[in-house]
Amino acid sequence: MGFWDHLWLGVAAVFTASPAFELLGLPVSTTVIMIASGFGVGIVVGATPGLAGPMAMAIALPILISVFGVSADALLPVLGFLIGIMKGATIGGAVPAILFNTPGTPDALLTTFDGYPMAKKGQARKALKAAHFASASGDTFSDLVLFTSAPFLAIMVERFLDLPEKTGLIILSLSFIAAVVGNSAAKGLISAGLGLLAAYIGKGEDFYPRLSLGQDALADGFPVVTAVLGVLILGEVFKGIEDLVRSGPQSPTRSQAVSKADSRFGWKEVVLCWPYIRTSALIGTAIGALPGIGSTLAATLGYASGRRSHARKYPDQPKFGTGRIEGVAATEAANSAVSGANLIPVLSLGIPGNAAAVFLILAMDSIGGFNPGPSVFKLQGGVVGEGINPELVVVFGIFTAMMVANALNWSLGGLFMRSVGVMAHIPKHLLLPVILLLTLTAIYVQLTSMAGVYMAIGFGLLGYFMRRVGVSVLPFVIAFILGRNLEETARQAFAATGGDVWFLFHSPIAFAFVLASVVVVTLALWRPGARKKPN
Amino acid sequence: MSARQETQTNGKARNNSALALGLALFVLALLILWVWVPLDTDSGLIEKVRRRWVIGDALAPSVAAVVLGLGGAFLALVALMGRAEPLDLSVSNVVFALAYLVLLVAAFHVMRWVGPGLVALSDQAQSYRSLRDTVPWKYLGFVSGGFLLVLASIVAVERRLSARAVLVALLAPLAIALIYDLPFDDLLLPPNGDL
Repeated sequence: MGFWDHLWLGVAAVFTASPAFELLGLPVSTTVIMIASGFGVGIVVGATPGLAGPMAMAIALPILISVFGVSADALLPVLGFLIGIMKGATIGGAVPAILFNTPGTPDALLTTFDGYPMAKKGQARKALKAAHFASASGDTFSDLVLFTSAPFLAIMVERFLDLPEKTGLIILSLSFIAAVVGNSAAKGLISAGLGLLAAYIGKGEDFYPRLSLGQDALADGFPVVTAVLGVLILGEVFKGIEDLVRSGPQSPTRSQAVSKADSRFGWKEVVLCWPYIRTSALIGTAIGALPGIGSTLAATLGYASGRRSHARKYPDQPKFGTGRIEGVAATEAANSAVSGANLIPVLSLGIPGNAAAVFLILAMDSIGGFNPGPSVFKLQGGVVGEGINPELVVVFGIFTAMMVANALNWSLGGLFMRSVGVMAHIPKHLLLPVILLLTLTAIYVQLTSMAGVYMAIGFGLLGYFMRRVGVSVLPFVIAFILGRNLEETARQAFAATGGDVWFLFHSPIAFAFVLASVVVVTLALWRPGARKKPN
Repeated sequence: MSARQETQTNGKARNNSALALGLALFVLALLILWVWVPLDTDSGLIEKVRRRWVIGDALAPSVAAVVLGLGGAFLALVALMGRAEPLDLSVSNVVFALAYLVLLVAAFHVMRWVGPGLVALSDQAQSYRSLRDTVPWKYLGFVSGGFLLVLASIVAVERRLSARAVLVALLAPLAIALIYDLPFDDLLLPPNGDL
């Protein structure tokens, strides 16, 4: 089976497999319904300050697995729903940013700079339309880059990288994430070190489970869901509740009146915004392809680039920050362009680049039958062969799901986005305890064990303290997920080279990766505190 | 105190806290490397098994400890150079974390014991285990524990007991229980899988 056969099977898997009902005589597949539902949930979640896409993905995952099970047929509906949330949350974040001056997601902070002044001038609808157009453009561009670059990157990795080089590549990815995420490379190393340590507790190759302190509960190691949801979600909720305990309940935000007087977003505005969208989409895609760098940094760079360009081109006009439609477009195109490109390292290398990608990998891991990495792009049997690589079919299914989400975004996203402003009125102090209970319940129904819940609470406290001392939790989560993979690859590389302890230094490519790891960390350490905090 | 002196004092304080954290993590990494890993792992860094050298179980955790130790050492070094980022951690944060931990443990104990306790108090001939998947028994523990957790959290923020808080604390666990329980026969709400 060749490329086109796999592509066709992937598209067919999304549109024709397990139809849920018929619409005008045409079958509507379960996967399409799940993508649409996830997209709607994502917009609502993104528009709710205090909630975020990864939180919704974490809560949805056990429910999805209960509904669809862990068979191969479950992969596309589950991933479709999660991808829908990921994309919906990106555009939803702009709604409260424009209407209430409160970013729904951290990456929408810069949208408030011009979006809210526009709303104050009675141009809220115009700003929302601009945000939607820019967001959908950036997202679609980023997806197209993913579709074209991920297979080539995977083929290059498979062709040129053997086990020592793959070990070096994982070390480089971890070093890069530790160095660039957060505001200090030293703290990034601490976070990654803790994540690796947690990953290596229990299991191992020996009969005795290492570092288990003789406890049966630790013999199999920490379940991934306890560490990931604990550090990522519970830690954030604990911190949020404490902040509210100290500050008191926040008074409901008041929106600016949404006047229809100047709500037009036509060709004139598209032409005005297009240069900024183009540049920001490129910036967001480039940032998104690098593991660990979040959409907040992309939005910051996109906005800064747009502001410079605007000031140079139109020195006499009011600057960004005073209610310029181009400012909204520059920010939204950049932060939305991250989501597609973030899947480049996931699909081609098996390395998650951000929290949303972590949950996609978690879903793939929980369901099984799909191990992201270079091998998924193999055309089994060659172009004229007859073998099917089911993982490649899933990849094309994922790409199709992303395009379906984009089509929904272009057609209905703007309309739906403009109707969810009410979500910003939900008081955060009522929402967070419910999220806490929902997350703990999600963990319990997956593990059916109170021990798992207590482990998650322990990780939640770790995440809380890490946030308090300014240590980013993302390197922890990614190191936890990649830790076992790193050890396994290193074990195989060591065995394959006949027990050569210097196996990382004999191959030029592996050595280059290790050297690059040292350089990246050293450069980041050289300027502590000089970098802006991206996420 | 002049503004300049105050800035210097604040800067010194934040560098001291970063230095303490860095050194503490460095010492922790040394303890993991020299005490925990050797005492709690069966094999060494590399081992000879059937005349072939293989990586032992101790190597990966040792690498993790080295990464942690390096991070701690660099943080201490940065603090010594006077360029540390501020640490937003105080005694009151630790007190909050402990208090919230107590609340979570209390809520989950309520969840654990309400169902079996009510079965024991009632005239039921069956044990809780045989009733744990029947209405209303399967909801009692989860809803009461969830009610306590949500209500206490809201009251802590609002600093008063309001009707709205009680309503949310009652409806939220009920809604969550129904979301997980009604559509799925194979899911057990906490704590029913353990009982």
